[in-house]
Amino acid sequence: MDTLVAQYSRPAFEEEGYSQEDQHQLAQITPSLSLNFALPPLANPSAFLRATTDDHANPDCPIKLAHGTTTLAFRFQGGIIVATDSRATAGNWIASQTVKKVIEINNCLLGTMAGGAADCQYWLAYLGMQCRLHELRHKRRISVAAASKILSNLVYSYKGMGLSMGTMCAGVTPQEGPALYYIDSDGTRLAGNLFCVGSGQTFAYGVLDAEYHYDLKEDEALELGRRSILAATHRDAYSGGFINLYHVKEDGWVKHGFNDTNPIFWKTKLEKGEFSNVTSSLV
Amino acid sequence: MAASIFSSNPTLASGPNYSFSQAANNAAAGVKEHSFYPYTDNGGSTLGISGSDFAILAGDTRSTSGYNINSRYAPKVFKIGGDDETGEGAHIVLSVVGFAADGQALKERLDTIVKMYKYQHGKNMSVKACAQRLSTILYQKRFFPYYVHAILGGIDDEGKGSLYSYDPVGSYERESCRAGGAAASLIMPFLDNQVKNNNQYIPGSGEGHELVARKAEPLPKEEVVKIVRDAFTSATERHIEVGDGLQMLVATKDGIEEVYFPLKRD
Amino acid sequence: MRGATILKASDDKTKELNRHTLMAFSGEAGDTIQFAEYIQANIQLYSMRNDTDLGPSAVANFVRGELAKSLRSKKPYTVNLLLGGLDPITEKPSLYWLDYLAALAPVPYAAHGYAQYAISEPLLVGRSADHKHHHPDIDFDQGLKILRMCTDELKRRLPIDFKGMLVKIIDKNGIREINYDDSKPVASA
Repeated sequence: MDTLVAQYSRPAFEEEGYSQEDQHQLAQITPSLSLNFALPPLANPSAFLRATTDDHANPDCPIKLAHGTTTLAFRFQGGIIVATDSRATAGNWIASQTVKKVIEINNCLLGTMAGGAADCQYWLAYLGMQCRLHELRHKRRISVAAASKILSNLVYSYKGMGLSMGTMCAGVTPQEGPALYYIDSDGTRLAGNLFCVGSGQTFAYGVLDAEYHYDLKEDEALELGRRSILAATHRDAYSGGFINLYHVKEDGWVKHGFNDTNPIFWKTKLEKGEFSNVTSSLV
Repeated sequence: MAASIFSSNPTLASGPNYSFSQAANNAAAGVKEHSFYPYTDNGGSTLGISGSDFAILAGDTRSTSGYNINSRYAPKVFKIGGDDETGEGAHIVLSVVGFAADGQALKERLDTIVKMYKYQHGKNMSVKACAQRLSTILYQKRFFPYYVHAILGGIDDEGKGSLYSYDPVGSYERESCRAGGAAASLIMPFLDNQVKNNNQYIPGSGEGHELVARKAEPLPKEEVVKIVRDAFTSATERHIEVGDGLQMLVATKDGIEEVYFPLKRD
Repeated sequence: MRGATILKASDDKTKELNRHTLMAFSGEAGDTIQFAEYIQANIQLYSMRNDTDLGPSAVANFVRGELAKSLRSKKPYTVNLLLGGLDPITEKPSLYWLDYLAALAPVPYAAHGYAQYAISEPLLVGRSADHKHHHPDIDFDQGLKILRMCTDELKRRLPIDFKGMLVKIIDKNGIREINYDDSKPVASA
């Protein structure tokens, strides 16, 4: 009986404040690299998370996370073009117009952000760390195939927990040449020439598919990336803000600006006569 | 199990129902269904603006629960890494709005970490490092989030004012201004226009599309304080969860100065 | 495919397990690749350790066992499989049908995914067609002819364009891909 009592009773306030483990973590010099995430004290944590944060499944969820995007990347003879918009939305609210959706994993690998902003930021930073560890361990740069597989295996291990990300990994390595991978939180990982991801993907595909070919010149490729994002910001309400443009080459990536869509739109319309659906007369 | 403690407590179920109002669900058949819902919204609003050599974080001091006002002085802006309760010697400021208990927990966690950093390294944590650390703290609770909108401010390594804003699970960005909380949708457009000079053009600089946009330039501290006060008096007029008092923490190279202005109390 | 767009038009949904066994898979995104690579690695490991290949029926029963294990775990794989193989000793061909509930059946012909409903029309449900077109002694050309009937039916009756077909043959020489021209439009009657 005493053993039973001992087993099922505990002093009051035992779990009050920080646990031993918590205190240990707080006292550590550097945060631990092990991935231990707090979970609600429930049998089914993912259902709880869905009910509180997933505004797709539950429109009046209390915690709105940043969403909505157009991102694209394509391979061509001169490397890889990566372009994104910069809008973040939470429901109908535009949470930010200046989000950096191209994530610089290291000086020759880029990742793009679509879906949950925090998920992409955190896991691509984690990927950057793993890539650096690979360099230190093997004395050579990681291939894009291997890097993308680290990410896809990682998100796959959290499948069903509610992570939301659709990302592209772009890089040029001596072994692979220009390499482009699409990874999403379902666990899908695909290599390809051209991908568009996000709520505005269909509009971007429309422009990109029509004019894409592998032998594009560098300036043509940059313009095509910019124009595809512009089309998406024009037709998709969840996309907008600034156009973030990158070019990945053998010796690393080059940034080609973070430019406001509005002047680019008017320039495209007035100088090239496109967007005939909009009138430019001021009267 | 915490779930059963919360959901089967009769005093709470029939009581004021703060956190649990959305959880109780009386179905027609008389079946009572409870679920674990450990969040509530305590209202209020916060705002941060960074300048060339300072950063200001401000928040109203009202704390609400539904239509009830529970306190007229419940701070939402905190000094991080200070010596004791007074926050003496702190160099980083944090504002949290949303669920006050989560905000409190987050503030204490960050405060401890910044202090431990100082004890172990013998120097203050840079704002950049602190910003990244706050992001990982928030992401550690990705599957059971802190229900808060956090803004972090301080002076960066170059002596410039810096400001970082966060979503509940830790995505963050350095910005020049940001409003959070209940009246964010009222204040943020005002800030975009007055701080970043969005949609402002130089008069007479051209016709139609030739008009030149006004560039944003860092504002002097006195000007920013005026903008913050205007933002909050106006938000108080139009939002029921905002009012009572305006608390401002101004971070400069000399430390953190606290300023308080009364707001309307109705 | 994600939402309403095609991400990749030429994705190989098969894995070679050993010299004479090929596995085709469909199902939940992510699960498919993870499970297929796991199976492939284990079958290859067996070949390396024992210096001999596992026969098709042994492979099929191993895969079934792994699926059954997964089905009773916290997070089961949602993967449907087809396993084609040639016994390396008797040179007898065999085909196995497995679904995500770990049902295993040796079959003369089978399909998975969207296609199974359409293909079952000419081949499985329509008893007349069943007997008319397939019997155990058909030669390779006859087999290809039936495959053509199936893909034509897909084009005729399915609202979705599958963006081409990947056809692989398993015979005593091993596994090879053949050039399968799927560009001809099919008129519906």
